[in-house]
Amino acid sequence: MSAVGDDRLPVRVTVNGRAYERTVEPRRTLADLLREDLDLTGTHLACEHGFCGNCNVLLDGRTIRSCLLLAVQADGREVTTVEGLAAPDGTLGTLQQAFHDHHGLQCGFCTPAMLLTALELLREQGDEELTDDAIREAISGVTCRCTGYQQIVDAIRAAAAAGAGKEARA
Amino acid sequence: MKAPRFAYHAPATLEEALEVLAAEDGARPLAGGQSLVPLLKLRLTRPAALVDLNGVRGLDGIDRDGGDVRVGALVRQQTLLEDDELARSHGLVREAVRYVGYRATRHRGTIGGSLAYAAPWAELPAVSVALDATIEVRSARGERTVRAREFFHDAYTTALAPDELITAVRFGAQPARTGAGFHEVSARFRDYAQAGAAALVTLDDDGRCRDAELVLVRMAGAPHRVEIGDVVRGSRLDDATLDRVVDALGPLDPPDDVQVSGAYRRRVAPVLARRALASAFARAGQGKAA
Repeated sequence: MSAVGDDRLPVRVTVNGRAYERTVEPRRTLADLLREDLDLTGTHLACEHGFCGNCNVLLDGRTIRSCLLLAVQADGREVTTVEGLAAPDGTLGTLQQAFHDHHGLQCGFCTPAMLLTALELLREQGDEELTDDAIREAISGVTCRCTGYQQIVDAIRAAAAAGAGKEARA
Repeated sequence: MKAPRFAYHAPATLEEALEVLAAEDGARPLAGGQSLVPLLKLRLTRPAALVDLNGVRGLDGIDRDGGDVRVGALVRQQTLLEDDELARSHGLVREAVRYVGYRATRHRGTIGGSLAYAAPWAELPAVSVALDATIEVRSARGERTVRAREFFHDAYTTALAPDELITAVRFGAQPARTGAGFHEVSARFRDYAQAGAAALVTLDDDGRCRDAELVLVRMAGAPHRVEIGDVVRGSRLDDATLDRVVDALGPLDPPDDVQVSGAYRRRVAPVLARRALASAFARAGQGKAA
């Protein structure tokens, strides 16, 4: 596969279980594709060069910076964004509800990336062995501009206790 | 910011990738993209074309031959961290990769990319120098190997020619009773290292040091290896021996930057060297492999 000049390339990607097909310039990132071409604006862009982690999404189930992946590199892959976390009728998942209950969001900007990062953590670690240190290490790659980290740690701990890990592994 | 325009090639084989790199002026390889894509977005680099290696077959395996391990250039940093067998045979890799970026960046970042980019704060170049790794390099002109100890010339400057790619990194078998330690300091958790130290210690049958390696991070543009084998041999790494190790560091002239001064780096280097050696000595005593 090659593109020169203003060539656009085809991308077929599954986002939150729905298949999409678009053509993109090679320099376009996955974050650009999600936000501008698919109208999935829950993925937030801040620094746009990989520092802040606010654009984290799951690529085939693993967290990545969507601002650092070219959209063409997502061809044939499965992406999960924050829009894919709640039930179709809008009922919040256990992790989302815990963020709500524990004031884990202030301005809400980092929340999508925090949720997806926490989801991976909960899926990978058993609920019982989840320590505050492990939570803090996991979210260290996402910057909260409100610095509301304590409530985010509280929310993730509570979600683990409420069985969000088991839910994520199901 | 958005990246400038570039031509994009996504070859499926190494041969195709090498042909494009040889044929196109200003073509650059794209591995994990965790350093190159930010540079593109900040428009600090404007390659005419990117050769995306992520679809190239055969670059992402970890192969073992006796105690030797050959790690494909496209092996992700998170894989290096999670590989239990690698942790047993070459424990320094896991000790150091814990400090590389964040999980979301380690899922993409590769060992070949870390070595080829050769950032002055990077952990994996120091690891490869400490373990005396051999770097396999290919171009359309042929293949060659370069010792890690001769690969890093300065910050962002290596022995690689523009048309060459790293294809694999080979770590030789470590002697029995070898332990590893890696310590660094940074402004925030897992932020870029302001200074760091990688150490290996091999013990003899009496539990005394038979050999040791020490490589400092961010004391110069390239990983800074300090010869300490003669200083520690026969010792149990007591305080007096560690004092002599500190003397052996010699004059260091690390750079100032916006975060910390060179003077600060000079001050923490001996502290990190002691910690790394002490960790390595303790692990060697527990019989854990390096």
